[in-house]
Amino acid sequence: MNFFDKLMKNWQYALVILFVIISLLSLGLYGINYGIDFNGGTLFQVELQEKVSNEEMARLVNVISARIDPNGFGTPPSPVGGKYILIQTEETDSVALEKIETRIRQQGKFESNLDGNIIFTGDEIRKVLRSDRSFGVFKAGTSYEWSLPFVLNEKASISFMESTFHKCTTTGTAPNGLPIYTCEKTVFFLDRPTALIITTQEQYDKDSALLLEGNKFSNIPQETQIEELIEDSMLTLIVLDANTFDKESIKAHLALTPNVVVSPDVSTSIKQDLNSIGFNVTTSEIKEGIPWIWTALGTKQIISLTEGITNEDVPEDQKDRAKIFSTLRITGQRATIQEAQSDLEELAVLLESGSLPTPVKNISKETISASLGKSFLDNIVFMGILALLIIGIVIYLRYRNLMLTIPIFATILAETLILVGILSLPFLRQPFDLAAFAGLIAALGSGVNAEIVIVDELMNKTKRETLSLLQRVKDGLFIITTSAITMIGVMGPIVLLSKSMPGLSGLYGFALVAILGAIIGVLITRPAFTKIVETIIEKKEKQ
Amino acid sequence: MQDFYKTHYKKLLFIPLIIAIPLLFIVFVFPGLQQGIDLRGGNVLIIHFDKEVSAKEVESIVEAELGIPVTVSAINSPTSHGVYIEYDKDKKALDAEILIEKARLLLADANLTSADLEAKEKESIAFSIQAIKLLSGEDKNFDNAKAALNDAQSSLSIFNENTSNKLKIVLVDKLNLGENAEFQHRNVSATFGEAAFGSGITIAFSAAISLLIIIFIFFRQFVPVVGIICAMIFDVLMAMTGMVILGIPLSLLTISALLMVVASSVDTNIMLTSKVIKEKGSTPSSRAFSALKTGLTMSSTTLSALIAMLLISFLFQIDVVFQIAAILLFGLLGDLIATWLMNASLLVWFTEKMVRK
Repeated sequence: MNFFDKLMKNWQYALVILFVIISLLSLGLYGINYGIDFNGGTLFQVELQEKVSNEEMARLVNVISARIDPNGFGTPPSPVGGKYILIQTEETDSVALEKIETRIRQQGKFESNLDGNIIFTGDEIRKVLRSDRSFGVFKAGTSYEWSLPFVLNEKASISFMESTFHKCTTTGTAPNGLPIYTCEKTVFFLDRPTALIITTQEQYDKDSALLLEGNKFSNIPQETQIEELIEDSMLTLIVLDANTFDKESIKAHLALTPNVVVSPDVSTSIKQDLNSIGFNVTTSEIKEGIPWIWTALGTKQIISLTEGITNEDVPEDQKDRAKIFSTLRITGQRATIQEAQSDLEELAVLLESGSLPTPVKNISKETISASLGKSFLDNIVFMGILALLIIGIVIYLRYRNLMLTIPIFATILAETLILVGILSLPFLRQPFDLAAFAGLIAALGSGVNAEIVIVDELMNKTKRETLSLLQRVKDGLFIITTSAITMIGVMGPIVLLSKSMPGLSGLYGFALVAILGAIIGVLITRPAFTKIVETIIEKKEKQ
Repeated sequence: MQDFYKTHYKKLLFIPLIIAIPLLFIVFVFPGLQQGIDLRGGNVLIIHFDKEVSAKEVESIVEAELGIPVTVSAINSPTSHGVYIEYDKDKKALDAEILIEKARLLLADANLTSADLEAKEKESIAFSIQAIKLLSGEDKNFDNAKAALNDAQSSLSIFNENTSNKLKIVLVDKLNLGENAEFQHRNVSATFGEAAFGSGITIAFSAAISLLIIIFIFFRQFVPVVGIICAMIFDVLMAMTGMVILGIPLSLLTISALLMVVASSVDTNIMLTSKVIKEKGSTPSSRAFSALKTGLTMSSTTLSALIAMLLISFLFQIDVVFQIAAILLFGLLGDLIATWLMNASLLVWFTEKMVRK
């Protein structure tokens, strides 16, 4: 019988080898995802004022996520129950953390601009009338119309009237005799930067074309003019000529703002020059299919005014007779009900982002500096190796038999490898942090105990005289299975409750790893170990 | 030795029960188990650096700086040094929190159609302005209630962040720590701590219930199940005593360590119980003795791993691991007493009685 046949006949070995290979592949492909304990970073635990519904929670998480991580590079915030939100970031610098905390609390700086002026801000929106009858999606012929009513405060209502007065012009007459109007557009910004914007001619041309083209999924209407967008943003854009710039003229902008936002294709030497002048340079990334300038300016929507609110019926010279609207309504048309619904929701979130009296009650946080995390990791790996070696020595001293010590040791190594490998699988992606490490200790401790039970049960002198090998294997397996199931029973509540109860996030990794360890042990590694010990005993008995 | 349990078991049974009384006193009465920051709220600043300092020195610097009482413990190992500073929230921050909460409630209450909307917004602005004044000393004016509230809240975050930052800078400066100082900062709000404590109690309770059910399903006899549960309670009690002695507070981390104590105590007790009551052949006391041998092997491997953990975590000051290992060590000590003195004796007595029937 060759090696492969032997292996296939003993499924126990084949299973262990299979899982070791899967783990090695997963580790090779995805690597270990260290948590903030080892990488350094900050964990925020946000406590909301009161329990909110699932939809409200999803909305809050979206808003917060968009605020603190607009590019979506980090771990998304995760809700815990209806009252808590967990946010992880790699940031450890206290000024940056302060900023993030402020952003979590304040959600968003929303602005609606027209002709290079702010017409109203998020602070000035009293409320989005979610419970009003006109809020929602309605069937309009073959398509669907969504409608979003909201209320402005007094000051904003007046300024809205002032700035939108007669912003529509007649462009023709409809068949029914009524005039057709074309109205100006307002641009909605969220967290519009206070910065000088710098890009290259190439990027500018690309953006200009993309804006004209429009993008249905990002709410960019067709025929959007880049010049108008920049005017509405009230920011200065500098287009670099052949990737060079005139230091002196740019210096003049320093008096207005020390911040510069550049496109990714702006060269490093230019960024360095800007830094040396005294600017803080941030590079705004490009999102697939979306004009760079759109994201860099914080643009969210372009909404056309309608003749109903621009007081077209009041003569041009009698502005004092104009009607002041405090309740405004934004509407849109979509082909399907789902599209209409998602448009409505997206816009409602946007308007509410700065308008909700913030529902955040408290923020708790924990910060670990990156170098401290790194030294934690080094020491812990060292500690793990040392512990394994000492365990190996103790086991050798106890049994005085290398034929037993080596398999026990190999089983522990296999359990460790499979556990760490499974944690790195993309669908789990459980960070390997201090909690997971503690879980690993619990799992391995239990694993070593199980192996000792198997050896003692199978090798026991008095039992060997009275009971068959099969019976002894059964006795041993009963003990280790009961232990494993009890371990799962003890740790299970943590895994089940940690997504709905506050403060358990740190324990989730611990309990999950302990449970996985118990399952892997009972189903994969310990059967193989039992088989090895059986083979050793059979050989001995033959002799 | 084989007859160890045959001759002594009735006496052995009572040793753990007698030991348990002073342990209960230590854990629940005096000095009592402390609650950690994450269960009661507050701030922890842990600093690691490369020279030795005294806790007293740090304490006087921090108290002078913050004007609030702090608890400082210094950790000095041959390779590195550190201080662990616990302090409550600054009084200003607490007062400001109350003002901000008032401002927020007024806005949340304000009904769009109600006549007193303006008045409520004005009142809310007044509270926000007061909070800002308290936190930053600035006199600001607002005509928008939401803008005022947002400003007050960001003043609060800045204030909190500044407090811990100032503390760091002062310590580095006064203790001459240089650039190698490493910081770890944890800030837990009191309400979050309270909620986390509730979660801790819930999981401990659910774990106990599911444990009871599982053990009962496997052994289906009253006395052995009670024996396992008593042994576990004793182990946890011993581990908690260790926490009191070493000044380790009850936190979510140490709750997980206590669950590990439960898990390791499950291993030995289930092995013992199934050997004594399920196996056939030799006498109960000799089966208990054979279980003892296996159990001691288990405990010695655990002990050796714990020694490695304690040593490394002490040398390099990974207080998280140190706390876990120390708790497990006490749990293991409890396990040796409860399993091999109490539970083994109980099971031998029980099985012999069953056989005689």
